[in-house]
Amino acid sequence: MKKEANVTLSVPARPEFVDLVRLTLYGVAVKMSFSYEEIEDMKVAVSEACNNAVLHAYADDEEEGSVDIRFDILDEGELQITVRDSGQSFRPSDHFHSSSLHGKSIEEIQSGGLGLYLMQALMDSVEVRTDQGTAVILTKRRAAAEQV
Amino acid sequence: MQTDKLTFHTENRQGATVVYVAGELDLEVASHMRAAMEPLMEQSDRKLVLNLRDLKYIDSTGIGILIGILKARHARQAPFAVEEIPANIRKLFDMTGISPFLASAEAYPNLSGIDTKS
Repeated sequence: MKKEANVTLSVPARPEFVDLVRLTLYGVAVKMSFSYEEIEDMKVAVSEACNNAVLHAYADDEEEGSVDIRFDILDEGELQITVRDSGQSFRPSDHFHSSSLHGKSIEEIQSGGLGLYLMQALMDSVEVRTDQGTAVILTKRRAAAEQV
Repeated sequence: MQTDKLTFHTENRQGATVVYVAGELDLEVASHMRAAMEPLMEQSDRKLVLNLRDLKYIDSTGIGILIGILKARHARQAPFAVEEIPANIRKLFDMTGISPFLASAEAYPNLSGIDTKS
């Protein structure tokens, strides 16, 4: 693809729609010639960002919210994915914390923090912005991009 | 809603219950997985093995369930193992640091090979 482009998707903030985001990501990433492994990495990272919005963004809201996903094809081999919610739910500052199980005992291990940890490990960059709701901006550059 | 997104079938090997988990283990099916695993987690007299050869996808929700099973089995001093982990899932297990906790069932050769369908 020569020109920059973007694809947007809006889904209800419900668990059963997260796989729809993965399917869309797959289509966009294949179009950009990302490798199988890179696509698998991005699938997990994007799902983690969506899971977070689904679980926490609208916890205090009466009405069902939505999660907006924007795929920005920045150049030949760079994809930026923005996962945005407009939830007003109060989130403690440590809500977005990154933590793994490395070096811990079985008594200490827990799943909290794994989502963001995986996003950071799987993508080239992860940015979290909180203003009106939360936006998670994930970027990945195709490893083989230079060779094309 | 998809009902075949995540499927299980269980086999009995000598002294072990082996659960074949197939499909996608994500937030949508997490409660389904927990409910299916709960009664098996309590069987302290049998080894519990999860076979993941047909698991296509897992996220931190799924890894969280594995942590829950690890802790429950550890508390009961009951054996638990995960076997035939696909490469893409192994990568996530290594990345998060859960791998060292998931002892390979291959370390117990007496449990493999003799499959009795239940």
